Amino acid sequence: MKNILKRLNEKIDDLVVVKQRDDLYFIKVKREHTDFILRYLKLDENFKHLDFMQAVDYIENNQFQLTYMLYNYEIKINLGINVMIDREKAEMDSMHRIWPHLWQYQREIHEMYGINFPGSPRVDESFVLEGWEEMPPMRRDFDTLEYSKRTFYPRPGRSTNDPKEYMKEKLYHDFAKSPKIRRDDE
Amino acid sequence: MKLKDILSPFNVWERAAKKPWTIKDPINDRPGAANYRGFHKNDFDKCIGCGSCEEICQNDAIDLVPVEGQETKEGNSGLRPRIDYGRCCWCGLCVDICPTGALTMSNDYTWVADDPEDYRFIPGADKTKWQDATKGYKRDEGIALINYDRVKMKEIEPENRDKSFIEIVKGYNKDQAMKEAERCLECGICIATCPAHMDIPAYIAAIRDDDIENAFRILYETNPLPEICGRICTHKCETVCALHHNGEPLAIRWLKRYIADQIPKDKYMEVLGTEHLADPILDRKVAIIGAGPAGISAAYYLAIMGYQVKIFEALPDSGGMTRYGIPEYRLPYDQIEKDYDYIKSLGVEMQFSTRVGEDISLEELHRDYDAVFAGTGLHLGRSTRIPGSDNKRVYFATDLLREVSLGNEIDVAEKIVVIGGGNVAMDITRTLARLQNIKYGKVDVLTTSLETEDIMPADREEVVEAREEKAVIDPGWGPKEIEISDGKIKGLHVVKCLSVFDEDGRFNPKFDDNQRKFFEADMIVESIGQGMDLSYLSEEIKSGLKFGPRGRIQVNKNFQSDLKWLFVGGDIIQGPDVIHGVANGHVAARAIDQFLKK
Repeated sequence: MKNILKRLNEKIDDLVVVKQRDDLYFIKVKREHTDFILRYLKLDENFKHLDFMQAVDYIENNQFQLTYMLYNYEIKINLGINVMIDREKAEMDSMHRIWPHLWQYQREIHEMYGINFPGSPRVDESFVLEGWEEMPPMRRDFDTLEYSKRTFYPRPGRSTNDPKEYMKEKLYHDFAKSPKIRRDDE
Repeated sequence: MKLKDILSPFNVWERAAKKPWTIKDPINDRPGAANYRGFHKNDFDKCIGCGSCEEICQNDAIDLVPVEGQETKEGNSGLRPRIDYGRCCWCGLCVDICPTGALTMSNDYTWVADDPEDYRFIPGADKTKWQDATKGYKRDEGIALINYDRVKMKEIEPENRDKSFIEIVKGYNKDQAMKEAERCLECGICIATCPAHMDIPAYIAAIRDDDIENAFRILYETNPLPEICGRICTHKCETVCALHHNGEPLAIRWLKRYIADQIPKDKYMEVLGTEHLADPILDRKVAIIGAGPAGISAAYYLAIMGYQVKIFEALPDSGGMTRYGIPEYRLPYDQIEKDYDYIKSLGVEMQFSTRVGEDISLEELHRDYDAVFAGTGLHLGRSTRIPGSDNKRVYFATDLLREVSLGNEIDVAEKIVVIGGGNVAMDITRTLARLQNIKYGKVDVLTTSLETEDIMPADREEVVEAREEKAVIDPGWGPKEIEISDGKIKGLHVVKCLSVFDEDGRFNPKFDDNQRKFFEADMIVESIGQGMDLSYLSEEIKSGLKFGPRGRIQVNKNFQSDLKWLFVGGDIIQGPDVIHGVANGHVAARAIDQFLKK
């Protein structure tokens, strides 16, 4: 792995490597270099297998992080390729020509995060959310609780208690807060 | 053909005699994985009913409901989560957030019932086939939605504080306070435990919103001494904080101090909306005996209702025990004044150096005022009464602390022993250590208590800081005799204390006379508790009152005595601590209002 990283270092400026475990590493790659680096890792460094692809919403930085998780069967090591993309213009080049099965991941991410992959086969088709009209649900600004309150009708017989109010009722119900500050015009 | 190719098919026989991987009956016997997110379990011994599970549930699937046998008490609402499996998606957020670790999941995932209502159940209360399952999802130690570590408070280093009375704790800055406030779960469990029932989650939420003026107004709804309580409150609230079960409780006291520290003295009236209050409007007059926390709290709430209030104080300045008992390094006098000056500005009169019972009688107050509130505190020392304790170089801690606050010089010896294990004992120990340092350039004070270190009543940080200031704390010894030669103290003989309380929890210390020690000293300070001075009550007034155990005046829940015009509160009724005084004063003020309206 050392040699692989050394060679990668020659290809990428300011390479940042995070070693999570002995068999799990992450590197950051710029969006415009992704295609080249993935091809290089697959063809020249034997990371033949793509385990999965996923996205994380970093709403604070106005970015999405895409992760391509590669596997090398010879050295038995996972290498995650992290790519940050703009959240406003949520778009990424499709990598399905390197690993054909990526189209399915890209279709799922498109549905869950609203990230587009132009040219990816069937990317606009529903993955699991048939008839979904809301904002993509894995975006952090999607209010799940509000959605479920609005969508699923309340079951009869449900009631709840606020611990703060309940304890007051049980333990110190005759205690009152500050008397009203008097007003001279009264 | 190679030999390997002939032999390799026989590999399958390798496991012939071993236990099969496959499951015999995959229909009936198919357990979930060890960390499977199956049906919920709740350990009622751990659950405090804080409602964090309900709060975080993204499907609105959890209700908090009372459960038979689960008592509502301090630190525990008695409510328990009821989960609607019609809405649950088994995401496990409720398990991840649970601050006590009570809520977990089993690895069971099959459940057949005829009635759909059955699927709304209370884990831990309703009998389930998975309630004893050991496997299932539990929060990973490495993953916490809650920050269990308190934002560290900056303090002045021991070498920079042990020769002066400069305040030790520096207080949070804005970033620190916001970060600490972020940790609050807003469950509100703490409110019931605070004697003044301060709305803690509300003022902490206001810190988070950076709305300090609103936070300040919330403080004054239940406590008119935020600078004082923000520094030296006994913070019982923190002992029941939901976070303390698995980490450090929220620094509620320091956050209160942060709020009060942000508001400059000249902005108090504007922020609290009391600029028009300087002149009382009602013709009803209330006299208050003692300018301590109980008296001033009663005065404040009476003043904002419009009453004419006058406080009579025996000592030359305000604050009671907060000024004359608590050392300046814990509570600087200008902070006491900040709280008090505001209340003075509302038209509350204060007459100092006037001892009721000597300079003016209680009967006169009764004659001239419509009601009287007495919060006279515990200012008398208690003696061990061991042989030698009548020597003139044996002192009470309360007397010495008062002398220091009054600015009087005390005759500090080179070798001192303090008897006592409470916060007052620590206060006098650390005060004497400073005075020794100033006078002799070294510290030689030893403090001993009946209680061993693990059950010493003093706050832990007080013991730690006293040691940092080079005082010796040697707990677990019972004082036997003060050795005196030619009228001068030689030291204190002690014997090992085996236990302080008996099986019924009564004070009944047991000693081992064979284990002895001798602490050399030429001055001894007793700090084993305080008593009250009720000499201002004449025989006639006493005959109208009822007295309870240990000579306490009996009052009703509104702190009204059997003499309807006399209300009593503070350390002589409850406590002793500041926050009980504040609470008593508040309740009494409302009761006085009711009494005078009749």
